[in-house]
Amino acid sequence: MLSATAVRTPLHDALGASDAALLPPEDRARALDAFLTTPSGRQKPSRFWRIDLDTIAPDARAIAPNAVAVDIQNASPRIVACDLITAAREHAPLLRRAFGTSGAGTTKFGALARAFAGTGAFVYVPHDADAAEPIVITYTIAENSAAFPYTVVLAERGARATVLERFAGGRDAFVCAAVEAVTEEGSDLHCAAHQSLDAGARWFSTRTARPGRNARFAWTSAEAGAGLAVLDLTVAIAQPGIDAGITSLFFPTGNQHVDVVSTVDHAVGDSTSHTHVKSAATGAGQARYLGTIRIAPHAQGSDASLRDDALLLSKRAHIDSVPALEIGANDVKAYHGATVGALDEEQIFYLESRGIERAAAERTIALGFFEPAIDRFPTEALREELRAALASKLA
Amino acid sequence: MADQGLRIADLHCNVAGNEILKGIDLMVEPGKVHALMGPNGSGKSTLAFSLTGHPQYQVTKGTVALDGTDLLELAPDKRARAGLFLSFQYPAAIPGVKVANFLHAARQAERPGDLPPAKFRALLLEKMDLLGMDPSFMGRYLNDGFSGGEKKRLEMLQLAVLAPKYAVLDETDSGLDVDALKAVGECIAALRASDEGRNTGFLIITHYPRILQHVAPDVVHVMIDGRIVKTGDADLAHRIEREGYDGIREEIGAIA
Ligand SMILES: Nc1ncnc2c1ncn2[C@@H]1O[C@H](COP(=O)(O)OP(=O)(O)O)[C@@H](O)[C@H]1O
Ligand SMILES: [Mg+2]
Repeated sequence: MLSATAVRTPLHDALGASDAALLPPEDRARALDAFLTTPSGRQKPSRFWRIDLDTIAPDARAIAPNAVAVDIQNASPRIVACDLITAAREHAPLLRRAFGTSGAGTTKFGALARAFAGTGAFVYVPHDADAAEPIVITYTIAENSAAFPYTVVLAERGARATVLERFAGGRDAFVCAAVEAVTEEGSDLHCAAHQSLDAGARWFSTRTARPGRNARFAWTSAEAGAGLAVLDLTVAIAQPGIDAGITSLFFPTGNQHVDVVSTVDHAVGDSTSHTHVKSAATGAGQARYLGTIRIAPHAQGSDASLRDDALLLSKRAHIDSVPALEIGANDVKAYHGATVGALDEEQIFYLESRGIERAAAERTIALGFFEPAIDRFPTEALREELRAALASKLA
Repeated sequence: MADQGLRIADLHCNVAGNEILKGIDLMVEPGKVHALMGPNGSGKSTLAFSLTGHPQYQVTKGTVALDGTDLLELAPDKRARAGLFLSFQYPAAIPGVKVANFLHAARQAERPGDLPPAKFRALLLEKMDLLGMDPSFMGRYLNDGFSGGEKKRLEMLQLAVLAPKYAVLDETDSGLDVDALKAVGECIAALRASDEGRNTGFLIITHYPRILQHVAPDVVHVMIDGRIVKTGDADLAHRIEREGYDGIREEIGAIA
């Protein structure tokens, strides 16, 4: 890496406006250099995919402190849920236990989110606290802006909570978000996200979790909006007894491009992970998915599954799905299953034979295809929101 | 009306380039029960699919009219809305689509807005009870992971809820135990006794006459190799029960 010799850019000048209590300027400069010098790890543009993720960057002039508005709803008195700048002042020791510790900053776009971190949310679930209601974080992105919403969640021993993030707005914006989730022994944390940004937005999201021993942890993530959506979902398993889940659903339509990488890193044995991906594409929608399961040589007793189903609804739509199972240990269970295909004619005919028009039959079957994944998201209200978002893409 | 009935005339149908139906003439009158019997592979399901408009079944010649409406002109969904129902031999599973939502969508498509939701629900529960189905069926995904018997019961539930003008039941009896068969028989009898189903005409396809003990046929047809080779009354079914299809094969062989 070039940190000392990296060229000074307008982005470096833009760093000056960022909050120094949250992160000192020299740390921000290091993170920005990491962004500028780290490869995306993504495939280069191809016949179908037209965007180069190695060179993409925000316009420094679009960076402004008011680019993001955050609203945080929390009904549990024992739980701290506040904006990130406040957390840096009032809960600095707690924040430090999670912020920058999950490994989010080691990826290209995670580093960029860190460099400009400011507006964001901090959720602290103290030990044995049980959030009866989900903590709901709503980010609204200003148009034409470059925005860096950053969420940090710390769940202590035996804590239980669901954190639900929504992202909206962002016409012609560059949005680079991160979530760091750090949990302790026996906790149960579910982090869900629904991204429904404007179709003109470019969206980058790095979501990294480091669960504690015997903890349950889940990412559920739905990509509905944005013209370009680049997602990194990671669970770092460094403790035994973890039960970790990743659910990702995406559905590029029109000219949308979606690139999702999920990584479960079993560095330690005796933990379980399950990854479920459901994707569809129509119009000229493009999607790429890389699902990595890594089981280290000494991580015996790991149990990992990866299930990936893709549905192609038009001739120009394209979904490129690649599983990568790197299994270093012998006493493990690793399952991978994938399907890619069009709608099933027998299913369509069955519905038609019950008086349902072909177009409605196709919509019904496509929505049904997503339903097992939708079922993994928290709260019926969110599930209904997702069904409506998918249905409007099929209309 | 003079042109009432499901009227099939000189119907020829190709599947995967082979002629499977070689000229079928058959008319099901409103309120009547016709049985269509024949050995495996004789073309019974092909007839069912060509009536309902499955895209893989190419009608090359002939006509099908439902109470005067030319069915072959219509897309499958329009045939259903015209009043034709098929109970599938092998119904498709559709994961993620709940039975309750599907039944509601089907009833809405075929009889828009005729029943308020509460009444529709009551109708469902009544018919499910008749078929010995647990209400938890409503929350399951359509035919997904269903046993053979459960699939057939769900087909019968749809028949009961849609009360079509003409119902083609393709081997609804196969794979059913004695109790399930009895429940299916009672479901059909209840439909035929109801105002909605009084005039429903049935074409009951089977290669085994068991179901006909529960639903007495007015007319029995025997299909062999894509043709209807014999038509008679309920006695014909009894004869097949005793002799199998060999007797009939010999008889038509002797004529030919
Ligand atoms: N989808 C299909 N593709 C190819 N052949 C078919 C198809 N459906 C039916 N057939 C053929 O048509 C003939 C009649 O089949 P079918 O109508 O299913 O008979 P039955 O229902 O009387 O048992 C058989 O020879 C069968 O192999
Ligand atoms: Mg058959």
